[in-house]
Amino acid sequence: MVFPSLSLFDLCQWLEHTPLATTINESLWLFPVIEGSHILALPLSVGMIVIFDLRLLGLAFRGGRITDQFLRWSKFGFAVMLTTGVLLFISQADKAYGNRFFRTKMLLLLVMGINAAVYQFMFYPKMAQWDSAGKTPAGAKLCAALSLVVWIGVIVCGRTMAYEF
Amino acid sequence: MFFLSLFHWCATWAPIVLVRDSKYGMPAVQSVHLTGLTVFLATMLILDLRLAGVGNRESPLSSLARQLRPWMAGAASMVILSGIFIFLATPDKYLSSHPFRVKMALLCCAILFHFAVLRRFVAAEASSRPRRFNVMVALVSLTLWFSVGWAGRAIAFIP
Repeated sequence: MVFPSLSLFDLCQWLEHTPLATTINESLWLFPVIEGSHILALPLSVGMIVIFDLRLLGLAFRGGRITDQFLRWSKFGFAVMLTTGVLLFISQADKAYGNRFFRTKMLLLLVMGINAAVYQFMFYPKMAQWDSAGKTPAGAKLCAALSLVVWIGVIVCGRTMAYEF
Repeated sequence: MFFLSLFHWCATWAPIVLVRDSKYGMPAVQSVHLTGLTVFLATMLILDLRLAGVGNRESPLSSLARQLRPWMAGAASMVILSGIFIFLATPDKYLSSHPFRVKMALLCCAILFHFAVLRRFVAAEASSRPRRFNVMVALVSLTLWFSVGWAGRAIAFIP
């Protein structure tokens, strides 16, 4: 039995020639609408996380206990982000593959995933206690600071990659 | 036309030329525009959703508005300043763009609506009015602001 040798690049080329990718690329309005949705879902996804981070760092909402709400809303935003992002990638996989900024963006998203997991397991379970007491653990603040910087990096890379397509 | 010659003079101003003609200058300014937009629209979402009675109901509307204000104003400044810069770097591109005109018209409507209507609605507690008024105002506000964003995106696709 012979297995065809498949590289990541072959996979990207195959993706770009799937019927779904062709449909997006041949339509006059599908790509603009998907890309517009990807960008305008930023406030609901990254925006909510940024506000949440600012709260953890003690820079916004010093009074109330309103943090959980933002995390719940951001899940809708990230659902839109992931769906539209995957569609955008499929339609231009070939070009995205070699793009430095796209690669950096993916790497930053991986860092973000690890950071979110650390927060989820280490600090989130007892958040109600330390949040209402106004005593944010230093580790949680570190997660928030990292999150702020990395999300801005994701936006910068996402915007800049389009200039090198 | 005074403004036209002013715009063209700005487009030859050294700091603008330096950024425009460098490799990563414009992507950087565009990134500032997008980051500001992300935070600005997020604060608007939080405020409008609270006004409509969705989420954050344990905090009073006026105090939520007060706490959001510095971030809203700061992010709005980021968007406006970077936007003016982007416009002045290539004024002719935007002056001849139809979506750009629509974007500016929508922006004026959104700003007017914000100061004339929304500001008054968030100053008093939401429960002092029938809920349908609050929902309507929140919907108009979000529709206007997000339309500005869509019109901005259309500049890249429609002449």
